[in-house]
Amino acid sequence: MLTTQQSDALRELGNIGAAHAATTLSTMLSTNIGMEVPEINVVDIAKVHEYVSDEPAALVIFQIQGEVSGGGYVLLHIPKTSVVRLTNAMLGMTELDRDLTEMDHSALLEIGNIMVSAFLDASATLLSIIMLPSPPSLIIDMPHAAFQSILAAQDFSDINQVVIFRTELHSDQYKITSNLFLLPNQPMLNEILAMLENLMK
Amino acid sequence: MVGIGDYHIGRSPMSSIGLGSCIGLVVYDMERDTGGLAHIMLPDSQGRTDRPAKYADTAVELLVRELNKQGSKKEALGAKIVGGSSMFQSFSGNLNIGDRNIEAVRFHLKKWNLRILAEDVGGVQGRTITFYPAEKGKVSVKTADGTIRLI
Repeated sequence: MLTTQQSDALRELGNIGAAHAATTLSTMLSTNIGMEVPEINVVDIAKVHEYVSDEPAALVIFQIQGEVSGGGYVLLHIPKTSVVRLTNAMLGMTELDRDLTEMDHSALLEIGNIMVSAFLDASATLLSIIMLPSPPSLIIDMPHAAFQSILAAQDFSDINQVVIFRTELHSDQYKITSNLFLLPNQPMLNEILAMLENLMK
Repeated sequence: MVGIGDYHIGRSPMSSIGLGSCIGLVVYDMERDTGGLAHIMLPDSQGRTDRPAKYADTAVELLVRELNKQGSKKEALGAKIVGGSSMFQSFSGNLNIGDRNIEAVRFHLKKWNLRILAEDVGGVQGRTITFYPAEKGKVSVKTADGTIRLI
């Protein structure tokens, strides 16, 4: 489904996007944000559970819009404990043992918007196109259930495999971890790969 | 672990994690305390045969046939269905696949004259299920808030 070269090009594209997302998060929290080398995996649908668990987490989900065919998604995944720490860091609070509230939801949507806009903006600039996030959908639930619902939707038609891009961003100071996922459907993946190939000519 | 579009048959516990719009279909043999679990993704195979557990129509047939092959009598079989939620309210692009999955599974169970013994379907939450054939076909359903129900 992906050659090594395509996989490398895609990783580099995501790397640039994620680095910009990390910078915005770093600015918002005024702290260093570490970033892992992005992973690109071609995953059989029966094995998605090896990449995404049912451990409850917050997911801020965006459809990718703009000068690409629709049907790709960007997901910001933050484990529940990290959500509390993140809101606390933003609002200068310290209480760790609490349930998620409206305040956390607002913080998540805000952070998601800013990070994912930066991610898409930087990737799109490299490709000399425009990519924009849709309004976000916030889900606090099992990540596998959310991924599975996206993969079963019409955008993906009837697939047996999917390309999953993932990179981890973390703040050591606040003990916050998060993951950025990119989930392109086949038409969008093909378009992006064609643009990347043109770039390298 | 039964992944998306996959299935398993036997007497030991088996589970599917994070069902969203997907359906976990359990077919249980009340006489032999055995059964199968299929992780259904879409309502209609449209003639495809490569992954029968992935679609409602072929998954029902698959589990019934496989259990028959192993000696289950059709009258002893009953079904439990879990999943088919609608997690996304705000996206366009036909994300109400959960409801269509529920309808399709019910339709095909009826076609095969299988009783529905229990169900936990719809809503907006994800579910993780474990099926215990040897414990009278018990199915545990866990949701993200930590609640566990037995059906």
